[in-house]
Amino acid sequence: MHYLLVGFEDVLLDPATLFWVAFGVTLGYILGALPGLGKATGVAVSIPLTFYLGPAAALGMLIGIAKGSAAGSAVSAILLNTPGEPSSAPTALDGYPLARQGKAQKALKMGLFASVIGDFASTVILIGLAAPLAQYALLIGPVELCAILLFSLTFIGGLSGRSLIKGLIAGALGVFFATIGLETETFIPRMTFGLLELDDGIALVPMAIGMLAVAEMIVQAGNLRTLDGEMEKLTDGGAREDHFVTAAEWRRCLPVIARGTFIGSIVGILPGLGASVGSFLSYGATQKASKTPEKFGTGMIEGVAAAESADNAVVPSSLIPLFALGIPGSVIAAILIAAFILHGLTPGPLMFQQQPRLVADVYAAMLCASAILLVIGYSGQRLFARIIKVPLRLIIPGVLLLCCVGAYMETNSVFSIYVMLFFTLVGFFSRKLDFSFVTFLIGFVIGPNLELTFRQSIQLLDHDAANLIHHPIALLFIGLTVATVAWLALGSYRAARKPRRPRPRGKETIEV
Amino acid sequence: MRRANVVSGALLGLFGLAMLFFVIPWQIEAGPADMMSPRLVPTIMMVVVTALAVLLVVTNLRPRSEEAGDEAPPISPAELAALVKVGAIFALCLVLYAWVSPLAAGLALVAGTLLALGERRPLVIVLMPSALLLALWLLFYKVLGTAIV
Amino acid sequence: MERMTRRGALAALAGLGLGTMVLAGSAAASDAYPTGPITMLVGYAAGGQTDLVARAAAKVMGEQLGVPINVVNKPGAGGAVAARELQQAKPDGYTLLFHSNTVVNSAPFIMERVDFTPDDFEYAGMITAYQVGLVTQKDAPFDTLPEFIAWAKQNPGFSYGALSPEARLYIEQIARQEGLKANIVPLKGGGDMINAILGRQVVLAFSGGIHNKYPDQMKMISALTTFRHPSDPDVKTIEEDGFALGMDSRATLFLPKGTPRPILDRLAAALQAAATDPGFEKVAAAASIPIMYLGVDAAYKEMADTYAKNRGIMQSAGLIK
Repeated sequence: MHYLLVGFEDVLLDPATLFWVAFGVTLGYILGALPGLGKATGVAVSIPLTFYLGPAAALGMLIGIAKGSAAGSAVSAILLNTPGEPSSAPTALDGYPLARQGKAQKALKMGLFASVIGDFASTVILIGLAAPLAQYALLIGPVELCAILLFSLTFIGGLSGRSLIKGLIAGALGVFFATIGLETETFIPRMTFGLLELDDGIALVPMAIGMLAVAEMIVQAGNLRTLDGEMEKLTDGGAREDHFVTAAEWRRCLPVIARGTFIGSIVGILPGLGASVGSFLSYGATQKASKTPEKFGTGMIEGVAAAESADNAVVPSSLIPLFALGIPGSVIAAILIAAFILHGLTPGPLMFQQQPRLVADVYAAMLCASAILLVIGYSGQRLFARIIKVPLRLIIPGVLLLCCVGAYMETNSVFSIYVMLFFTLVGFFSRKLDFSFVTFLIGFVIGPNLELTFRQSIQLLDHDAANLIHHPIALLFIGLTVATVAWLALGSYRAARKPRRPRPRGKETIEV
Repeated sequence: MRRANVVSGALLGLFGLAMLFFVIPWQIEAGPADMMSPRLVPTIMMVVVTALAVLLVVTNLRPRSEEAGDEAPPISPAELAALVKVGAIFALCLVLYAWVSPLAAGLALVAGTLLALGERRPLVIVLMPSALLLALWLLFYKVLGTAIV
Repeated sequence: MERMTRRGALAALAGLGLGTMVLAGSAAASDAYPTGPITMLVGYAAGGQTDLVARAAAKVMGEQLGVPINVVNKPGAGGAVAARELQQAKPDGYTLLFHSNTVVNSAPFIMERVDFTPDDFEYAGMITAYQVGLVTQKDAPFDTLPEFIAWAKQNPGFSYGALSPEARLYIEQIARQEGLKANIVPLKGGGDMINAILGRQVVLAFSGGIHNKYPDQMKMISALTTFRHPSDPDVKTIEEDGFALGMDSRATLFLPKGTPRPILDRLAAALQAAATDPGFEKVAAAASIPIMYLGVDAAYKEMADTYAKNRGIMQSAGLIK
């Protein structure tokens, strides 16, 4: 605690450090807001820039980029329905309808507030609980992780949108595409068609860019007149309360944000899951807990709050295994290890003993970054909301270019652009034929982890299911999974049995 | 949507079968005897997809009572046109990338899309690509010091 | 009129940019190699062990050669994608690959469509080695490989963490020879391995070198190389314990086939300077990577020798496709 105060002194009294943290947050926010470019790219390319900075400034800046981008990705999700990062895909589900109803500023503000709260709370957890939490995290071995992932798959049921069958198909296709590449245990190539570039599988970023951003842009290009017309009709003047978040909405959203932060923090600590899983799970959980689950996807502000708080909470908590044990649990953490070492800080338990002051400086910088994020995001609100006024035919070409750059940078080769284009087709048809890309993404991200942990579990349990007794946490989650599936099946059985009442608008029909 | 569902269901079913009987055995070896087969997960997924696709077709074959003719095709002609146009532009840009230079490809992408979307002001068509590419160049090569290509 | 100014400003900017680039280009034009920036490919994603060392080496070499060296990551297939790209580059010394030599002396035996041979590239030296070993928890009831084998005989069905078929090879060979029963748990990457050991999920695992960052929680019981590790000189190599399975891997400078020898020599000299540069030493020490410089001729010999040796090992283990 005392160290933290010293850290604050160092950071706040040194304008250079504060400047670089602010620079990082701003850069991250902009990169996040631009569809196609994301935090992994941003952090990786910024590392050389930090050679000339002091360690606290350098690390503060890099972490600032990660934080800023997790929040900034909401902007393009809400305004253009093209998430700046895959983790903001759920934000777009409700944020974009809100923007289309003229409530862009409200959605943007809620997204920002949820992001900042999630980020700040998660940073506090990191600072206070890194060491003990990391030890607990070690208890989660492959067997437990397998059970947890199985449980998360049940969320697909709720996130399938209107058609459960199509949602499940999309999820299965997601898992299928994720198997492309070298199989982890045997190194046997699966469906790589002789292409070395596919040996490591399909990269998430180009795929997500193609499916979510480029496909969306094409759909919008096909609807230019309608969309532009709608926007003209909505005068920005609208109801005053469309520009900010009302007290009633705050009351509804605070528990959502708390839940999102909790889920995001846990997902961050568990290795290998990533921010996308966090925000999807949070969105799904909030939808289930809501009294009006069917309204999600039409402009429920809780959806925005849920997704954004979780996706920002993942960033600091994914640093917990890094700080406490030196294990990178996420892509960002892995990239940051290089930066840490370059600046003389070896992440791991020894870090606290050998360099306590530097650690305190970094902590203080991270907390300041949260505050700076609020300032930067808020001051940009009006500017961002104006973007929605720009005619789409000017926005779409720019977005397409950025998407190409973002995809290319993933592997420094044109191959990623081909991947992006392939999934643009997939995304286009899924959107138009109403197959949920959300469940596809979930299947894609969770699938490989599930398979790997399953293989590991087989070995760890010595090929004997009775050994599960030694893994109570796993048994708990398996139980939860069975219960949820049963409940879901019962629910849809009952719904199918109910006499069908005529519904007012075609959109509300629940297909099976 | 109902008709579209039948079509998508049928296509997906065919896809699943093609994967199951052709692609998976061709592209994935059987793997050593004592380990979980690499074919297992892909096979399970394709079985699921095929089964669900059949279900999709079957549940959409009969029209439901309360549907009062919402039979507009889900994909509008304008959207298809947009897909084709953007696809053609990308094809052109990839060719330019390979034969001329990345810069030409970038310029063509932005300018081409602008034209395809109906922009006719020559100033915008020239300025916007140049400004965007210049901004990218500044951001990456200068500020961040990293080469993109 | 406002438009004119904007257009004019843009043109001026473009002209300025162009002019600077031309000036910079002509200033660097001189007689011998190198006369312009060099591209250094790295076959792993940014942030890993190899990438770190590559960037540190690039910095020093750049100063030595007087031109900037741009590090470009081309991850994929354990370095095979980057190696294939190198094969297609011009042999003029302006494109090189900094990567573990396992992409030539080990990967072709394990991975299907990778079929490099030592003759496919030129080598401008090797600089660091990977301290690959078998590791376990610090408080495990065995300290050496023979002790582990004795323990394993009493505890069949133990779990071993493997990162790749190469890693499996070790335990399979040992198990075959000693009659042990192992459950091989597949792991994806170093982070997974650390989790598995610290979380006590496995009793033994294959480590690519990162175990050195956890001296208080992990210990190595066998060095899987032909030399004892500088970080752990008391631990015997697997060869000393009676298994001829030591496979060395070193970070190597690869160049396209046909690159002239004088260029190789210049690069090797620059690399050697990096080996003794204090900045580089700091980075290598922080990552626990030992600096073991080998010159051009030694590098060629090392490639040929290890290729033949590894081939033999893999063949007898039944791994060769």
